[in-house]
Amino acid sequence: MPNPARRADRIVGVLLLLLALGYGWTASRFEVGLLSDPVGPKPFPYLIAFCTAAASLWLILRPDPDPQWPPAAFWLPLGLVLGSLVAYAYLLVPLGFTLVTTLEMALLAVLFGARWWQGLLAGLAFSLVVYFLFTAGLNVPLPAGRVWGLR
Amino acid sequence: MDILQALANGFGVAFQPVNLLLVFVGCLVGTLIGVLPGIGPISGVALLVPLTFALKLPPESAIILLAGIYYGAMYGGSTTSILLNIPGETSSVVTTLDGNQMARQGRAGAALAISAWGSFIAGTLSVLALMLLGPLLAQWAIRFGPAEYFALMIFGFSTLSALAGKNMAKALLATLFGLLLSTVGQDPQSGMSRFTFGLLQLEDGMDFLVVAIGLFAVSEVLMILEDKAPPAVQATVGRVYLSLKEFVFSLGSILRSSVLGFIIGVLPGAGASIASFVAYTVEKRLLGSRARFGQGDIRGVAAPESANNAAAGGAMIPLLTLGLPGSGTTAIMLGALVSLGVTPGPQMFQQHPNVVWGLIASMYVGNAMLLLLNLPLVGLFVRLLAVPSWFLVPAVLAVSFIGVYAVNNNPFDLLLMTVFGLLGYLMRKLDFPLAPVLLGLVLGYLMEVNLRRALAISNGDVGFLFSSPIAVALWVLAALSLFAPSLLSRFVRRGALGDDEI
Repeated sequence: MPNPARRADRIVGVLLLLLALGYGWTASRFEVGLLSDPVGPKPFPYLIAFCTAAASLWLILRPDPDPQWPPAAFWLPLGLVLGSLVAYAYLLVPLGFTLVTTLEMALLAVLFGARWWQGLLAGLAFSLVVYFLFTAGLNVPLPAGRVWGLR
Repeated sequence: MDILQALANGFGVAFQPVNLLLVFVGCLVGTLIGVLPGIGPISGVALLVPLTFALKLPPESAIILLAGIYYGAMYGGSTTSILLNIPGETSSVVTTLDGNQMARQGRAGAALAISAWGSFIAGTLSVLALMLLGPLLAQWAIRFGPAEYFALMIFGFSTLSALAGKNMAKALLATLFGLLLSTVGQDPQSGMSRFTFGLLQLEDGMDFLVVAIGLFAVSEVLMILEDKAPPAVQATVGRVYLSLKEFVFSLGSILRSSVLGFIIGVLPGAGASIASFVAYTVEKRLLGSRARFGQGDIRGVAAPESANNAAAGGAMIPLLTLGLPGSGTTAIMLGALVSLGVTPGPQMFQQHPNVVWGLIASMYVGNAMLLLLNLPLVGLFVRLLAVPSWFLVPAVLAVSFIGVYAVNNNPFDLLLMTVFGLLGYLMRKLDFPLAPVLLGLVLGYLMEVNLRRALAISNGDVGFLFSSPIAVALWVLAALSLFAPSLLSRFVRRGALGDDEI
């Protein structure tokens, strides 16, 4: 292809430019106390904002060809993984490390081609081992699960 | 004499039973990480940092363990390159060229042996150089004031941007993004909250471990998911044996590549991946028609494998003497040391001789250990590849959850990790290098502090930043490395490397 599409980098460049502007604007609204040092908390963010804006303009002017995006069928597993990670963060403390980790590992195992019972068993075994290794062996507290009346 | 005395003390630290055990564990885990494609040294080191906190290890033991993983991974990376034509690490990509050819010709044993010996010789030489050059550089750098430090960091970031990744604008943006992240949280000097959006969880800033595990480990999982797992492979190793003739034949390449790799390792941004690539190219040119590179020449294995180990040693120089890591892995080590109350930098040689010299001595021990470990056990390591990825990948991720959660005992960090995981995936797709983000995040605070100190001394006069000869020299070097990258790219064909794991 003599003239490959170069959209992705331009979009990223525009987003980063907006980020730089928003970042610089936020910094400009810092209220500096009277006792601050002569420099204060603003100039360093200004410097970063300026350089980021310049570099993103450079990217917009000189973009690379677009990457090979994965087939549409990949967005489902990708979404599942990311969604499950968010759920993991919210459920970890209420349901406890062992249960959520087992479920997360089972889901990932299935996405990587295992059967669901393989994933569940392996996930359960691994999370139990790791749970006791860290809590009892290394004294790293992990949530046991609030809904079960555990700490 | 001073050095010998200090080294003797260092060996005293390294030979403590706990530390000997940690060197062993570090080298073993490092080798495993090296063997397994998909888990890079950065993720490996990041995953083990929480463990060092949990075990309440003293700083010298922690850094001994983490460094062991780092150079251990350089050993392990070659194994799959040779046997399966799958590089275990980006620093072993060029090893596939001749290494796999040798394996196909039934000389896998010799290829594995030369990579172990080359790594051993290069690793040992680079520790020797670290030991001799480190204190000198530290003595010189101890006179650096804030202006010099600021200029030094600018220089570091511009070489990083020039060398990491194919597109300099992208490397620069990645660095700047890291610096931007470093300003999130409470400003240490005025106490005001910056860029926290009112979130209490961001008051203390973003933890480097959370960002590192998200950017590297989680995004790696997403990449593996997209590629679908590499098929389980059966590989035969045969006897790992090298004749004296082959050894002598390769010695020249090993020694030249060690020197080259060490120098490249010292440069910020140019890590083990670039070192192995440059060493291979240089040897190929130097030997010309006398060699059969690409067709199973043993020196084509010796050169990159020596260079990447030497680079791992060289990378310790800026970390230990200036407190400025040049790669993602050493950035994590810096973060870990700071968390343990040791600030790397020129004063460290005097204030924490146990840490510096203990580490140096442990690297001698570790390199010998790796040789003993690798020659007989390669076959065993390879069998690990038979562990199905549907178990391995989720298990690695589960361990990384613990690492992230344990930082603050706060599930918010897991959300942050997920965000950085997606970001890391997109950055990999769009060819943004990842390591500069981490370096920016870890160093941003120091950079700002030094800028503010410098300007406080001069009462706001920016000219002070350019007032000393050292500072001016560093600014000039920084400009050169940014604006003369074509000069470098003549030697480093960046296009051929996927070098997000420098």
